[in-house]
Amino acid sequence: MSLAAEAFVSQLSAAEPWPETATLYQPLKEDQILLSDCASSLAVQAYLRMCNLPVRVACRANAEYMSPSGKIPFIQVGNQVVSELGPIVQFTKAKGHSLSDGLDDVQRAEMKAYMELVNNMLLTAELYIQWCDDATAAEISRPRYSSPYSWPLSNILAYQKQYEVRRKMNAIGWGGKTLEQVYEDVSQCCQALSQRLGTQPFFFNKQPTELDALVFGHLFTILTTRLTSTELAERIKSYSNLLSFCRRIEQAYFEDKSS
Amino acid sequence: MGTVHAKSLDPLPMHGRDLGVNPDDLVDAPDVAQEAKQEILENKDVVVQHVNIQGLGRTKEDLLGYEISDVFHAKNLIDVMKKAHVARQKLLRLGIFKDVEVLIDTSEGTDALPNGLDVTFEVTEVKRLTGSYNTMVGNNEGSMVLGLKLPNMLGRAEKLTFQFSYGTKETSYGLSFFKPQPGHFERNLTLNLYKVTGQFPWSSLKETDRGMSAEVNFPLGVTNHTLKWEGVWRELGCLARSASFAVREESGHSLKSALSHTVSVDSRNSAIFPNRGTLLRLNQELAGYTGGDASFLKEDVELQFNRRLIWDSVLSASLWGGMLYPLGGQPSCIADRFYLGGPTSVRGFGMYSIGPQSEGDYLGGEAYWAGGLHLYTPLPFRPGKGGFGDLFRTHFFLNAGNLCNLNYGDGPRAHLQKLAECIRWSYGAGIVLRLGNIARLELNYCVPMGVQSGDRICDGVQFGAGIRFL
Repeated sequence: MSLAAEAFVSQLSAAEPWPETATLYQPLKEDQILLSDCASSLAVQAYLRMCNLPVRVACRANAEYMSPSGKIPFIQVGNQVVSELGPIVQFTKAKGHSLSDGLDDVQRAEMKAYMELVNNMLLTAELYIQWCDDATAAEISRPRYSSPYSWPLSNILAYQKQYEVRRKMNAIGWGGKTLEQVYEDVSQCCQALSQRLGTQPFFFNKQPTELDALVFGHLFTILTTRLTSTELAERIKSYSNLLSFCRRIEQAYFEDKSS
Repeated sequence: MGTVHAKSLDPLPMHGRDLGVNPDDLVDAPDVAQEAKQEILENKDVVVQHVNIQGLGRTKEDLLGYEISDVFHAKNLIDVMKKAHVARQKLLRLGIFKDVEVLIDTSEGTDALPNGLDVTFEVTEVKRLTGSYNTMVGNNEGSMVLGLKLPNMLGRAEKLTFQFSYGTKETSYGLSFFKPQPGHFERNLTLNLYKVTGQFPWSSLKETDRGMSAEVNFPLGVTNHTLKWEGVWRELGCLARSASFAVREESGHSLKSALSHTVSVDSRNSAIFPNRGTLLRLNQELAGYTGGDASFLKEDVELQFNRRLIWDSVLSASLWGGMLYPLGGQPSCIADRFYLGGPTSVRGFGMYSIGPQSEGDYLGGEAYWAGGLHLYTPLPFRPGKGGFGDLFRTHFFLNAGNLCNLNYGDGPRAHLQKLAECIRWSYGAGIVLRLGNIARLELNYCVPMGVQSGDRICDGVQFGAGIRFL
């Protein structure tokens, strides 16, 4: 579809109300999904719950390939398919649901900056630990990623993904980092978030925004996922206000969810 | 119309017949001489003492012994000539000689009998390496195709072929090794390694297949059998952002490891415009028991009858059918299902545009049947008779078919009922052109009938090119 046609279709769909059958797709929860994907998916689920928009979660082994951008998660709303938190926020905004309307321009810019920080630091650190750390890659990431497929396809896909991620890490300059340095970066990122949060219930005023959803998604997943070492979770636990932040959001929006 | 993106993964047939030996060329033994001389020649007893082959380079002699051994049994001169001719055809079908000439002479030398004959085959071997380069343009894509062939690689009619296609959208390549059994050319082994990409706009699907296969052909009586194992890594993706969700759900990777068996009985006198004979081809494929993700049993049958009528016209009836039975409780994959419609099957409908669909994308079906009744006649007033005009035929056709999904829990009666309701059919007339011995071009005027909601029709003029037609 041309750009004009796409804009027209999204204008049309913006007028439609949010359907009951909206579905979020992610890889298989028990056997397949990895830390980074689980964090992104939880962030989107938290955001949609904060907006009070109902969404069902469906697990598919080929969710990554179904996604139009190749990234998890993606939601199917009516005829539209949107992937990743950024575009999903835009999409819900077009439908009239937004969490950041109450912010002024300065705060909005600050929110975007912090979201970039989380994406560049936390998400990249998660990817690094999953795929560039040999122990984690061999014990957890490769077996989980390739679990729905049979041999030899499982090996081919797992190594292909590992090669891709490592190449990306080299391109952004993380290839030369050691695990210790990555943990340090995560600590610094958490420190910045902890300082910004302070004693407030949410990052901006008393209302949650998409930044809260994103931070919750990543921190909660890191705290509750079993990795080869507990170092990453320990670093986060040292910031108590972030811990209580996660607990607060979990109780407020996920209390019916069994984790 | 665009390039023909084959859904089947077999490379274009490049068996030993591609030196241009057309079965239509197989003339009966030459009507040698006039009556009077024939009597004398037939009565004269001869003994074939030596059969030589000259001009061999890398070909091993033990391979050829089988082909020429029959010449020794000739009893008289006419017989010698007939058997020598047959031996020449057999040598040519191996695909390793560019030319074979036969020389029959009286034998000379110390052990020469008074009625002894020497038969000499003078052969010219093909070159060790032949290459070809083509450019193809079609359907918003251009591509460059490079072919390399090593015939008679190790001296016993083995053939190694490599084909590489580099296009603006996709790249495909294939490597194939063919080895016949010495003495029994019809029993042969083929090993393939390939990567093929295809785009299917009727389903908004693109498919990349990387795989290998091993295939054994052998004749048994009048039937020809093929046993094949194939392992394919399939990658499916959406062709456009606007693909329907049903097709999006099929995206991803899967591995198919399948054993298949084909039996065919072909008594037609030609593959493209047969005058007589029947064809029966039955194919079964079982996937999943030798590894892989895909698990199904697939049956496919093809039947064709031909009969000559008055004034050089031919009546041809054909029937196709197939069924896909998914095993192991998983649903079937879009890449394994059957498709129907288009200029090569039920004419008058869009390409593969019959049957279950979702938002305009055709998903294929698990069971189908299709039938056709054709009347072929030579062109009216027979222009260019004996030459170019013989490549054309006019034909009048009646096609019908149905494609659907079956509930395998119900009995066979319910299945037949489901296949018999909502039959699509069409009739029309057109001109057919034969290309070589493999392909066919058609230009038809079609009237589709029995159109169900969701089918895409192509009424009026429809053009088709392909290898296998209903």
